[in-house]
Amino acid sequence: MRKVLIANRGEIAVRVIRTLREMGIGAIAVYSDADRTSLHVRMADEAEHIGPAASAESYLRIDKILAAAKKHGADAIHPGYGFLSENADFAAACEDAGIVFIGPSSDSIRRMGSKTAARQTAIAAGAPVVPGIDHGATLEEVRAFSAEHGFPILLKAVAGGGGKGMRRVNRDAELDAAFRDAASEAERAFRSAEIYVEKLVERPRHIEIQVLGDQHGNMVHLGERECSIQRRHQKVIEESPSPLIAAHPEMRHEMGEAAVRAARAVGYYNAGTVEFLVDQDRRFYFLEMNTRLQVEHPITELVTGLDLVRLQVEIAAGGRLPFDQSQVTWSGSAIECRIYAEDPYNHFLPYPGKLTRLTRPLGPGIRLDGCVYEGWTVPMEYDPLLAKLAVWTGSREESVDRMLRALREYDVGGIRTNIGFFRQILEDFEFRKGHLHTGFIDEFFARTPPPEAPPELRAVAALAAAIHATRRTDIAAPVAASASSRWLSEGRGGLLR
Amino acid sequence: MKLALSIDSSPERMDLLAPAPKTRFRLGDGPELCADVEMPEPGVYSVLIDGRSYEARVEETPAALVVVIDGQRFEIEVRDPRRLTRKGAGGAADGVQTVAAPMPGKVVRVLAAAGDAVEAGQGLLVVEAMKMQNEMKSPRAGKVLSLSAKEGATVTAGEVLATIG
Repeated sequence: MRKVLIANRGEIAVRVIRTLREMGIGAIAVYSDADRTSLHVRMADEAEHIGPAASAESYLRIDKILAAAKKHGADAIHPGYGFLSENADFAAACEDAGIVFIGPSSDSIRRMGSKTAARQTAIAAGAPVVPGIDHGATLEEVRAFSAEHGFPILLKAVAGGGGKGMRRVNRDAELDAAFRDAASEAERAFRSAEIYVEKLVERPRHIEIQVLGDQHGNMVHLGERECSIQRRHQKVIEESPSPLIAAHPEMRHEMGEAAVRAARAVGYYNAGTVEFLVDQDRRFYFLEMNTRLQVEHPITELVTGLDLVRLQVEIAAGGRLPFDQSQVTWSGSAIECRIYAEDPYNHFLPYPGKLTRLTRPLGPGIRLDGCVYEGWTVPMEYDPLLAKLAVWTGSREESVDRMLRALREYDVGGIRTNIGFFRQILEDFEFRKGHLHTGFIDEFFARTPPPEAPPELRAVAALAAAIHATRRTDIAAPVAASASSRWLSEGRGGLLR
Repeated sequence: MKLALSIDSSPERMDLLAPAPKTRFRLGDGPELCADVEMPEPGVYSVLIDGRSYEARVEETPAALVVVIDGQRFEIEVRDPRRLTRKGAGGAADGVQTVAAPMPGKVVRVLAAAGDAVEAGQGLLVVEAMKMQNEMKSPRAGKVLSLSAKEGATVTAGEVLATIG
């Protein structure tokens, strides 16, 4: 392979470019109007504009991306995650155009794409699933199911994802309204009102298995990632090994085997992730398969020493897996925090805007996969992920300490981020004990008072603000945006004279 | 120099007794403190008090100064009492309330116009960022004194979108 086009943006496009460069392969970026000055465009060898900021008009346009690939002579396309990465039509269009799709076949994507079809595949492959009706169900069928298995139950959209069309139902009296709401939400979000039902697993852990297979029938698993710390059904902290599996090492093998069986059942190759729920009795249930590189893949890379993007490219080019299961080893403990432009103390509302300051954590055992720089404006059109901060040490306890240290060094100005919130979580007693479940953040907010600043920090903050403000002649006037440049040109004014 | 501050909406007095770099100051009824203050980078203050090292990062927003120390965030307004004008005290007494954008985004719908009578909690406009819609509601019953936002307009965090009186 000589050239690869990355059909994505943000930190994952930057991540892929880095490995391509190490492999001596040319990197082609695509960008929308909102991303002309984004880091992936600046770092790539070649770049092509593909349309307006709205992703439906740019990053989701198969025709424009294929045209860019042909124009620039790309041998292959890396889809990243999100956007078109799990779109079977896109993979098929690449296959038809004679461009290698760096991922599984369009057939595998299709068979794992529908949650209910994936569930049936998992059952056939002998992977345990949560009791449920695995096809679009009527209200009467759901009622009969809950009579048999009991409440609580979870209604989900057949075509769904991201929590849309999902409803928890605690008792029969809530069922009618919940079913109606879930169906109409699913209809709006996915243009399909079909709803299926599962028994709700209380306080589950989310633990997933990374699998990797070549096109010659070889497949291995690369162990687990625990992703139980979520907000709005989206992971924000991931770690490997899972604290649960560290205490019960036989589970890695059992879950790994189940994941490989499910992936093999759809003729899977390239990198993929099989997600499981694990209940309080350590029983695990197949949830779904993500047929792409996962956001949190760096922690697997840190504990296995592998470069998953390099392996993806080699496998897509027809290469064989360079190792078998017995040669996969795991060492130490890795944790990742997803740094978002959002306000954790205001319902995690997105907080795009201009980055006025940026200090990155450095030093031992730090890995930062980001796409931001000082002066860049976080666009409001896309997911506000700024960077993934990952750390590695020999043990979970030390990795938590290292992450706290790294978060202390991390300063982002001009926008709000969840950095301070992560520090609270990582200092939490329950987190440090490894008592994780997907409702952790909600419970954390319920039992933890809002952070209160120590009085000496308050005094220092007041002093800094007073000095900053009184350097201007009229401190009662609204603060002008140009004040800092005026400061620089006048030198030290006011009290700092 | 005596200053009136508001730290995260609670009022405080500050006495600046000696200028930087060897500052002496007192916050409220707290002890008098000596601080060595330097600004190694624009907007970044290195403060040494009793041998302890702090780094304060000050950012200017339309509403206030945002100061971040060790991950702690403070919103601070600074006023010199000698220069206080009618404006400083007048607003609250009249009960005029402002509605500001909680996040940067785009105005997708305008639900009221200047001159309209509104109820407390009534939606005034809808701001969207990253596909999340946020309805801005009136903080009190009264009349919309100003509402200049137009559909499709981009707004910044803290930007005043409407005033209600």
